[in-house]
Amino acid sequence: MKKKLLAAVLGATMVVSMLGGVASAEEITANGEYTFEIIVKSYQSSYWQAAVKGIDSEKEKLGVTANSNGPNAESDIADQVNMLNDAINKKPDGIGLAACDQEAVLESLQAAKDAGIPVVLFDSGVPNAPEGSVYSTIATDNYGAGATAAENLYGALKDKIAAKDEAGEVVRIGEVNQEATSESITSRGLGFIDKFTELAAADGHTVAVVGNEYYVNNCKEAGDEASACIIIEVAVPAQTTVELCATEAANILNKEDVIGIFGSNQVAAEGILTANGNLGVLGSDPETTVLAAGFDAGSTIKAAVADGTMFGAVTQSPLAMGIKTVDVLTQIANGEEVTDLPTDGYWYNAENMDSDEIAPNLYD
Amino acid sequence: MTNQNAVTAGKRKSSLEKLGGQKFIVLLVIVGLAIFFSVMSPAFRKYTTLVSILDYSYYIVLMSIGVTFPLITGGVDLSIGTGLICYSLVGGYLISFHGFPVWAGMLVTVLFGVAIGLLNGTLVAVMDIPPFLVTLCTCMITRGLGSIIVGGFGITWPTAAQPGGWFRSIFKINIAPRVMLPIGIIWVLILVAVMAYVLNHTQVGRYIIGIGSNKEAARLSGVNVKIYHISAYVISGLFAGLAAIAYSAIFTTVQPGTGAGFELEAIGGAIIGGVSASGGSGTVTGSLLGVFVICLLKTGLPFIGLQANWQQIITGLVLIGAVLIDVIKKRREVH
Repeated sequence: MKKKLLAAVLGATMVVSMLGGVASAEEITANGEYTFEIIVKSYQSSYWQAAVKGIDSEKEKLGVTANSNGPNAESDIADQVNMLNDAINKKPDGIGLAACDQEAVLESLQAAKDAGIPVVLFDSGVPNAPEGSVYSTIATDNYGAGATAAENLYGALKDKIAAKDEAGEVVRIGEVNQEATSESITSRGLGFIDKFTELAAADGHTVAVVGNEYYVNNCKEAGDEASACIIIEVAVPAQTTVELCATEAANILNKEDVIGIFGSNQVAAEGILTANGNLGVLGSDPETTVLAAGFDAGSTIKAAVADGTMFGAVTQSPLAMGIKTVDVLTQIANGEEVTDLPTDGYWYNAENMDSDEIAPNLYD
Repeated sequence: MTNQNAVTAGKRKSSLEKLGGQKFIVLLVIVGLAIFFSVMSPAFRKYTTLVSILDYSYYIVLMSIGVTFPLITGGVDLSIGTGLICYSLVGGYLISFHGFPVWAGMLVTVLFGVAIGLLNGTLVAVMDIPPFLVTLCTCMITRGLGSIIVGGFGITWPTAAQPGGWFRSIFKINIAPRVMLPIGIIWVLILVAVMAYVLNHTQVGRYIIGIGSNKEAARLSGVNVKIYHISAYVISGLFAGLAAIAYSAIFTTVQPGTGAGFELEAIGGAIIGGVSASGGSGTVTGSLLGVFVICLLKTGLPFIGLQANWQQIITGLVLIGAVLIDVIKKRREVH
């Protein structure tokens, strides 16, 4: 019964096409009865459920054992570290990890290295990981994916920004990030800010970044709020809930000068849509509405993109990420050489979301 | 029996006077916060902000009404937050994947809440396990159970435009874009009035207060304490079920694994509103007011540009303040 539901939700075609895509690139076989422990960031969003789906289908295909686990919420950093330590104690042939926090897992990664257990990171990298502990990182180029959102949003708002700058008026771009701790979210947020700033500067506009300290301090150029013509306002809620993201989004959307907003994951993007439920300011026409760019998919965001409430969104391929994680773990156990595998982020909007290239990545 | 009634009645009267005082202070805090945020942020003064605050308050208020009852018995119900998500997931799952009509899904949602409440109450009152432990366990159970039943996927209840989306208008009627009537507040106020009556003017309510003041005395008076003790948890479960419907109607996707921490806002609201942290006294209207303090802080602090971590610190400080008022008043009563 449950399996039937899973199949219905994800769509059998999607699984088949993704499997086909990966397998054709490289034929992988397991040379032993391997056991892997895989820890995702949470079961909080359908994004992670799609990754687990990928893991499960690939482990069956290769005939290996892969136990997936994960904390209840992406903010349960300590829970995840405990799970990682438990996984190390089980002495598996390899560990797959999507780290909630870049720093909290460092000691455990050292322990895994000492125990001789190879670790493959997916979704989020750990920049300061102990030398030799991480064999491969399979992640969306999050910085690039954030930049993709900025390119598309800037492209649509370009003329409006130019007109406002000429008239000496200030415009505001909002950015809602659910937190400021994980590599994936911070890279996307910073990728968006830096690209938007770069494109605006190339057209002769000045930009200032205000709001959450982490993003203001770590972007390439924070600018000066008093003299800037474009203000990028970054908000981070106290907890990673849709409600608190919605409050932060409403605060930005209520400002008179806001023309665009970016939500850097499913929770943040749904928060923006929840806020818009009462405010009714979003749309796809830059002259009369505020343009919103989202991230990831899920039925709510897909529906909003389809009807034009959300201008567009960037999606990753969690399913392929899950599949590749099992593949790479198997290759390592076989004794093969592996490298980092960046995966892409794709921009989708009402026009292209049904295309063959995009549709398989849009999980519910 | 009559003696006991006289004792509880006498105790209750003095409690009510005391709580009237605290409720007045809380009301002043609400007015003060509303004025402060309105002055500091023009956006806060907008009608849409008021609607948003109400939208996001319903589920916490409903949980808070319910949890007031176990709190007054001297217990607690930690299972309402994860329970809310569990009930909502199951109801939404039956609607989306098994063709249940929306009303039937709503009914299952509420009944599931009542069932968990009954389980909590039985373990507390009959098996005599500390409420903290019982509801911590059911908190964990509901957290996992919801995910398992729906298969780990986020569930979306019918959106306003879909068939069955009518249930969203129980809480908010959209007349035109940016013009909406937050009618949910009417139902919330009616439920507050009903439950205030239950607490203060029915046998169930009196014995629930009696259990909190002195369980042994209530038992010796010949009352079947267990039934009333269980009913406090059933009420809490029932309102967690109602809160699940409010949550499903306001928010889009219900995600398995979430919900932990919701109960703390409801319990915190009740304590701010004057429910004694050690049981025996408290009011439903006080809990309502207390929740609005939390909701105002949650919405207002981001609007005045305060960063996330400060929001939590300030909410914690307000809670300490409320508990201190309770403790100081108790001390005065003793002397």
